[in-house]
Amino acid sequence: MSTLSDAFRPNRVVNGRTTGLIVVFWCATTLLLWVLSPWKTLPTPLEILHALSTLWWEHGLGPETFTTLKLISHATLLTIVISLALSYATVIPFFRPLVEGVSKLRFLGLTGLVFPFTLLTGGGYALKVGLLTFGMATFFVTSMAQIVVEIPRAEFDHMRVLGAGEGRILWEVVVRGTLDRALDVLRQNVAMGWAMITMVEGISRAEGGIGALILNQNKHFLLAEVYAILIVILLLGLVMDYGMGVLTNALCPYARLGRVAR
Amino acid sequence: MKGAGDVLLDVKDVRLRLGNAQVLGGISFQVIDRVREGTTTGQVVALLGPSGVGKTRLFRVIAGLDEPDAGTVRDKDNRPLRAGDVGVVFQDYPLLKHRTVVQNLEIAGTVAGMSPETSKKRASELLETFKLGDRSDFYPAQLSGGQRQRVAIAQQIVQPRQLLLMDEPFSGLDPAALEDVAKLIVDVVNLDDLYTIVLVTHDIRAAMTVSDTMHMLGRDRKDGKIVPGAKVQESFDMVKLGLAWQRDIQEMPEFTKLEKELKARFRTL
Repeated sequence: MSTLSDAFRPNRVVNGRTTGLIVVFWCATTLLLWVLSPWKTLPTPLEILHALSTLWWEHGLGPETFTTLKLISHATLLTIVISLALSYATVIPFFRPLVEGVSKLRFLGLTGLVFPFTLLTGGGYALKVGLLTFGMATFFVTSMAQIVVEIPRAEFDHMRVLGAGEGRILWEVVVRGTLDRALDVLRQNVAMGWAMITMVEGISRAEGGIGALILNQNKHFLLAEVYAILIVILLLGLVMDYGMGVLTNALCPYARLGRVAR
Repeated sequence: MKGAGDVLLDVKDVRLRLGNAQVLGGISFQVIDRVREGTTTGQVVALLGPSGVGKTRLFRVIAGLDEPDAGTVRDKDNRPLRAGDVGVVFQDYPLLKHRTVVQNLEIAGTVAGMSPETSKKRASELLETFKLGDRSDFYPAQLSGGQRQRVAIAQQIVQPRQLLLMDEPFSGLDPAALEDVAKLIVDVVNLDDLYTIVLVTHDIRAAMTVSDTMHMLGRDRKDGKIVPGAKVQESFDMVKLGLAWQRDIQEMPEFTKLEKELKARFRTL
């Protein structure tokens, strides 16, 4: 039975009620600090609520959010297909240098890539999807390829002694066996996609999107509006993250069983 | 058609190096089918040796997972053994963590070419045999060590295979658990007179308790120095010695005497 004092001791497991109390404490503290903040550059909660209303009714926050969600979903789908194909390909020696090379591209910033990607995609929506996919996929491949490389040899041997062919081993051990971890990596990469969205949508503002909206508000120094959009991005990201967590638990119920509470 | 006296497994002059170290220095032994009067059981053959002698390396070679540098491992039809030809139960009982117990068994059937229906039926039978019926929808992470071991063994006999290799099945067990595993091995052998279990172990007492035949692995000594590369140092026919499948075998003076002798030998290997 955990007590409230366990919340302040290292390596203790706390129950749901205590966890809830801790979360409420930190939310209340954050809100209090925000309300009492002396910084003039930080709008008050009321100002942000007002800005939200303005953005929604006058600047089309709803449709802009939908545009961004469409862009992120499209890029995420492409990222999944490209990254998983490359990561699983690491089991074939011929493809290992290619995967390693793609992984190293994560050191390139997106800014310098706008020109070649514009030539490649023709600009507009395709350019944004291309850049966002590139940004997410290079990190996804890095994490996922590492997961595949680290699969213990014993797992392959286990399937071999059952008489499985290499194709079946690839499916059971590499694809199905790492699905829970692939979904975890995807969660992190979708978060990175949200972090990159402002920059990517800023490249072609005519298409709209929440990133273009925030840049326009920023240009006019409308701080309440900027923070309001940031909060919308944060909430959307949290909802998507929660949804992916639910999806992981539904598809891979065994994943939680191996995790030890600390 | 199988008959008494047939060679079920023929390991001939198996040699293996790891880097500069000679691990196996020409291992040769045969597993001969034996049918004892009045019984319909299979048999247990133990490969006994001290830690670090190369037992697990030999285990992997027999399982078809590693190629020896020299020598052969052949089945009863004189064909080289390949991975999948014999059942293999590894020391840490690996299972597919993302599949339930029943799915783990069914997959063992389908990968070997059995139809899904046949695999399902066979899995269901084995779950009952191994008293795992109430665990069929559990994931491996939800099983106890003993249950996991039973699933791992059941998985290896979903498809009909005459030989079942077990790596250190007694390792790290307390005396009560050790007795349970010994009983489980006997139960598996009793399932079908075709089953032959070859177990690799350093546990002298447990090996003596369950085996029909024991091959002791070790390294030669020359001028007091160890010669690298394990060989079969001595074989024991436990049936001829009157020490196979006896009730309360561990209480017999002959058992205790042989155990003492083997322990003394172990120190020189």
